[in-house]
Amino acid sequence: MEEELTSTEKLVRGKGVYVDDIRLPGMLHMAVVRSPYARARILSVSGGLNGNELKGGVESVGEGAAAAASETTEPIFGLKSANYAGQPVAAVFADDLYSAQDLMDSVDVEYEPLKPVMSIDEALRAPPIYSSTKSNIMSEKWRGEEFEIADAPLVLEDEFLNRRVATNPIEPRGLVASSEGSRLTIWISTQSVHSIKEGIVGSLNLKPENVRIIQADTGGGFGLKGGMYTEYLIAAYAAMKYKRPVKWVETRREHMMASRPGRGVKGKMKLFADRSGRVLGLKGEVIVEGGAFSGGMGEFASNFIALQCTGPYLIQKAHVRALSVYTNKVPLGPYRGAGRPEAAFFIERMMDKLADELKMDPADVRLLNATTEPFKSPTGLEFDPSRPFIEKALNEFNYRKRVANGNAGIGFFVLVPALQPGETCRIAVRGKKVNVWLGGNSHGQGHDIFIKKLVSDEFGIGEDDIIVERGDTDQLEDGVGAWGSRTAMVGGAAVVSVARKIKDQIEKEFGEYTPEHLLSNEFDVYTFERQKGSLTSLGGNMASVDIDALGTVNVKEIDCYYDVGRALNIDMVRSQIIGGAIQGMGQTLTEEIAYGPDGQLLTGSISDAGVLNAESLPRFNIKLADSYSRLPHGAKGLGEAPTIGVPCALARAIEKVSGRRIRETPVKPELLVGLEG
Amino acid sequence: MSKINITVEINGQKKSAEVEGRMLLVHFIRESAGLTGTHVGCDSTNCGACAVLLDGRAVKSCTVLAAQANGRKVVTVESLSDGGKLHPIQSAFLERHGLQCGYCTPGMLMSAYWLLSRNPSPTEEEIRKGIAGNLCRCTGYQGIVDSVKLAAERMKEAK
Ligand code: FES
Ligand code: FES
Repeated sequence: MEEELTSTEKLVRGKGVYVDDIRLPGMLHMAVVRSPYARARILSVSGGLNGNELKGGVESVGEGAAAAASETTEPIFGLKSANYAGQPVAAVFADDLYSAQDLMDSVDVEYEPLKPVMSIDEALRAPPIYSSTKSNIMSEKWRGEEFEIADAPLVLEDEFLNRRVATNPIEPRGLVASSEGSRLTIWISTQSVHSIKEGIVGSLNLKPENVRIIQADTGGGFGLKGGMYTEYLIAAYAAMKYKRPVKWVETRREHMMASRPGRGVKGKMKLFADRSGRVLGLKGEVIVEGGAFSGGMGEFASNFIALQCTGPYLIQKAHVRALSVYTNKVPLGPYRGAGRPEAAFFIERMMDKLADELKMDPADVRLLNATTEPFKSPTGLEFDPSRPFIEKALNEFNYRKRVANGNAGIGFFVLVPALQPGETCRIAVRGKKVNVWLGGNSHGQGHDIFIKKLVSDEFGIGEDDIIVERGDTDQLEDGVGAWGSRTAMVGGAAVVSVARKIKDQIEKEFGEYTPEHLLSNEFDVYTFERQKGSLTSLGGNMASVDIDALGTVNVKEIDCYYDVGRALNIDMVRSQIIGGAIQGMGQTLTEEIAYGPDGQLLTGSISDAGVLNAESLPRFNIKLADSYSRLPHGAKGLGEAPTIGVPCALARAIEKVSGRRIRETPVKPELLVGLEG
Repeated sequence: MSKINITVEINGQKKSAEVEGRMLLVHFIRESAGLTGTHVGCDSTNCGACAVLLDGRAVKSCTVLAAQANGRKVVTVESLSDGGKLHPIQSAFLERHGLQCGYCTPGMLMSAYWLLSRNPSPTEEEIRKGIAGNLCRCTGYQGIVDSVKLAAERMKEAK
């Protein structure tokens, strides 16, 4: 009977198996002792498992990963120094969670606190945190070409900040590691079992064939669960050392301190334009607060944001400096959008400023600068003609009529999905069932639904005959991951490719393809479907708000118009969009990971961090562009669209209603308080 | 740590165990009774993933000590369905996309159950208020509100 339940049906019955639900005989619970200081010299550590025994660093894997090994790479345990409040210095193990927490007192650490570097501005001024680097600059790159426009009629400058935001899936990070003989098996909440395997194998120096990673039911990821974390290595090492399974599940407070957050980016923009509203050039500087260690998203994000700074516009001259800096905060990670929302925020805020300067309608400024041909901007951003898209979107929003009420804002963007290098898929047919494994692992986006639909369309069989399997490195030899709005595209393309290979095989063997031939025989085909080039899509949002006397913003309505290619399941797409839109609202209105000047975390709980509840739900109008991509199944990217477009539209709506220029997210009520009714 | 003997009736079955005074009800349900449908999502009573019924009222089981539940009745998500048959709230969640990752779902279901037992025909506004103590990071809540509305209609028809 259990066998018959679909995966979602299990979840509504409370029969899901998330990491915390796994119990193995003799299992130990791990608790992590963390630095209370943002920056300190560590004079000594004793007790528990600590850096005197387990040395080495975290191999950076997943989205935005780069290899590096030095003082600036995250160590498994802080041993001589601690560089953010929450950095692991030791771990303890006990039969149950309560005893593990008690045992934390048995660890002695002697710290000598140092003055931490806590902001981008401070990082640029302060002496380097690390003795091996000349400054606090983690990386510096340039995009576009240097230019001069001596006689531009209009030069507009402004500075923006998207503060750090926690990913906050309702299920926090966690894993169970178990070692038998030479074999290490890990059940984990993840977006990519293969990334986790690569990180475990590389950091702990193990043989790939001895490591198996299995995905547990995964309670949301949003970027958080694609990469490697020091706690995973500690648990894996301890399971091998103690010859007992080890479970670790982070507390929400640990999530706030030590899970990598997103955003944390400053943008300085200088726009050159003529008096008709045409943009002549753009100079910019993007500064990412990378946090304490290099090698991950923090290092990668600035260049990725610089790429997108020109937005969906025909900007012929652009030159953007991309900086990432070190601070004494937890390293930055990817959070839904991962660089895309920041770039859109910077350029869209400038387009609104340009409109205000010339007393033009913001929609007209955008239309004037949109493209009628495919375009590649000087920073490298490629996209389809944006003018027809923006026109269509404004129509769908009924913009001309509704904006007359004075409270709507709009925002447009190019969604750059993480297309490369492609994705893997394996389909095994046996016992009249079709089993499917995908290299990117669903963490709650309902991938099962569209995979089943694709497989059933390709094979002409019922969805009941199809089983979408969880990620398991023993069942699928390679894989990439589920992030960057990619799975419906690259995962879908891999599914279609394998299905067609099996159909070809059947045609060769039996002269023709029939579902009966498929189900009454056995097949097992794997492929890595490579992807090259770019497959960007366009999107737009409109938002309208009220603001009360206390400065509280009430979002009334959000309109979305996105090009998601062929929508494989319209209800699922809507649900994804609304979920992302509420996250975009959260970033704009309330969400923030904040620290005091001494480096102490001020936002220790999920509500301090500003996650919105059901009472903030606005009305949604969602429309999809009718299109079909060049992929065999026609899909384009989706997942991140609302987190990119909603903050742009919302910031403008707030600006119009309040009359105050919006430069930062979250928009603090202090800025809006005491407005005339 | 001093231990105490407690007996709690969970989903109609008596469960006795010797527990530490500090043990939270959510851990008693998950660890001692082995019912892992009730989830833990925070340590500050904000998320509601741990919601259960205690003597018929919805509570966040991470804010109640196991010892406080001694001699009382707890109902968890596992007993919402009647044998194989899903409760109308559960089937509505499946039909109206009331979940994506499912981690908040057991708590949402219990809060919705409690809401509908007090107010069988809630307005959309009342539904939002009713689940305001439960956080969901995936769905943006619209699917959940729609699910609860559908469930309310079905439950009224069935009466
Ligand atoms: S775990 Fe009980 S409210 Fe979050
Ligand atoms: S469905 Fe994932 S938290 Fe609600």
